[in-house]
Amino acid sequence: MNLKHVFSNDFTLSKRVLGALMIAAGIAGFVGVLMIEVLDIGRQGGIGPSQRIALGGCVILAIIGATLLPLGKNPA
Amino acid sequence: MTDLAVQTAPPTKTNSLIITISRVLMVVALLILLGYLLVYAAFAVNLMQFPFDYDQGEGFELVDTIMFSEGRLPYQDTNVYPFYSSNYPPLFHVMAAPFVWLFGEAYWYGRLLGFLGTLVAAAAIGVAVYREGGHKWIAVLSGLAFLASNTIYHIGPLFRQHMTMVMFETLAVVVLANVNEIQDTRKRRITLAVGLGLILAAGYTKQLALATAVAVFVFLFIRQPRRAVIWGIVFALVGSGIFLWLNRATNGQWWLQTISANVNDYIPDQTFGLYRLWFSLHGFLIVPAVLYALYELYFARLSLYTIWFAAAVANAALSGKWGAGDSYFATSIAALCILSGICFSRLVRGNWSFAPSFYTRWLIQPFRRIAPVVVAASLIIVPLCYIGYGRAVLHMPTQGAIFEPIATALGLEANADNGFYDSAGRIAGGYANIGHFTTQADIEEGWRIVDLVRQADGDVLSEEAAFNLLAGKTVITNPTQILNLSLNNQFDSTALIDMLERQEFGLVILRALFYPRDVIDAIYENYEQTETIHMNGFDYMILTPIQAE
Repeated sequence: MNLKHVFSNDFTLSKRVLGALMIAAGIAGFVGVLMIEVLDIGRQGGIGPSQRIALGGCVILAIIGATLLPLGKNPA
Repeated sequence: MTDLAVQTAPPTKTNSLIITISRVLMVVALLILLGYLLVYAAFAVNLMQFPFDYDQGEGFELVDTIMFSEGRLPYQDTNVYPFYSSNYPPLFHVMAAPFVWLFGEAYWYGRLLGFLGTLVAAAAIGVAVYREGGHKWIAVLSGLAFLASNTIYHIGPLFRQHMTMVMFETLAVVVLANVNEIQDTRKRRITLAVGLGLILAAGYTKQLALATAVAVFVFLFIRQPRRAVIWGIVFALVGSGIFLWLNRATNGQWWLQTISANVNDYIPDQTFGLYRLWFSLHGFLIVPAVLYALYELYFARLSLYTIWFAAAVANAALSGKWGAGDSYFATSIAALCILSGICFSRLVRGNWSFAPSFYTRWLIQPFRRIAPVVVAASLIIVPLCYIGYGRAVLHMPTQGAIFEPIATALGLEANADNGFYDSAGRIAGGYANIGHFTTQADIEEGWRIVDLVRQADGDVLSEEAAFNLLAGKTVITNPTQILNLSLNNQFDSTALIDMLERQEFGLVILRALFYPRDVIDAIYENYEQTETIHMNGFDYMILTPIQAE
């Protein structure tokens, strides 16, 4: 799948590609939320409730993405 | 391999009894939801006759509207007299500004705009459900279900921009939902321009519309990345152009007052409470909406409605911000009314199509034979869901010639102010004390406060703008705005506290103590409470300068 094809008039995302993007977004989001904790060194109290909600959301996003992978080339 | 179509034959005489029962139940559901429309209209008319703030902050929306009607931008430096700024985008106030020219300063037209906005959104929901599901009854029920929601009822007829934002969001989604299927290039481009213009309108009505913009572009990207990128660039240029112009015209106050000041404390318990409340009220429609979203995710193509629903439900997590509340769920309620309506329409028509896949083979194929049973059951279950929803969202006055006999027959006792029952109760943090009707006694007490303001020497510091506006005095500051700024270390209270220490205000009127802590301290050091006036369920504390001994 090259970039020229992705930006052609007849390209549409498949369920598999959407699933992969959701997994990537979930992982990136998870790492991002953890990085906030690592970089925000002046703050007390560790990972708070709102960060736990965000982490949970990222995990759910990635899991849903994984369940889309078996759907292959079906259009999303 | 082709899609698995599950379409049942039209009903025969053998199940005519089921059809008759279904129609009776549909009529019952329709009557219940029409009853809520009656309550909603009565509430809207009641509020339009109330000349004061019903919900804290309405008066400041009126101040913004007046400023726009005079050609002034309300994004000002809050560190200098009169310490006032708006914290919302301009479109709603611009829409209301012509009413100032025609009718002067009043609350009714802002409330009318909010109310009409909900009716337009409900109509758009009905159109979407009918277009996608082809069932007139369910389309009508879906639109009415939106208006019957406690949340929509509470905030619809307020002088607030929130429901106008939801109206623009809903219209945008309905316009754009089938844009990719339009073959005619010119027509498709016009549709895209109109839809994205509506998104911009929603965003410049209230910042919360950002989630709908994200949902629209995710949808466009999934269907055709090229189109999403090109139109995304155009959208970003127009949107950021307006943003930069506003920021330049206000010397940066636009950014400070509408963006920086909105970074508030987050209260997770408030979020959880409001999600629980949202589900307990709308569960009869949320479950089918989620099931339909899962159907699209695994067996069909994702529609804009599903992506919008997911984005709106996620965005509602912002309801935990200080100052936020159940209104943050309004967009998700519009989306769930559409999705549940489409789901119900397909269920009763037995009209489903499943793309060939691993999941279809294992989860759908084995149950294909029971499709007629599912359709027959749906004919009963669908109207029962709307009836159940009608019970869950129960809210109505318990007084008055029309409502009292009904409330008595239902065994309802008032659980809110001025004889009102509300199933939403007061169970979640951030839940505003609104929904009840106002009374003549409330209006009379409000005018008493206005008289005190008129009699006071000089300026009056009031937590609500109505009293100053009606007394013809300058509105001094917006307490929640300077509190937000103060919490973000962006408010210098020196000048305001100097005025308090010099007792330059002839009167101070407090209700919820929304001012920053140091301002409240300065008030109580220099003013004493001389009277309390009860109005609309709240105690208004009247403070006069402490006399030197």
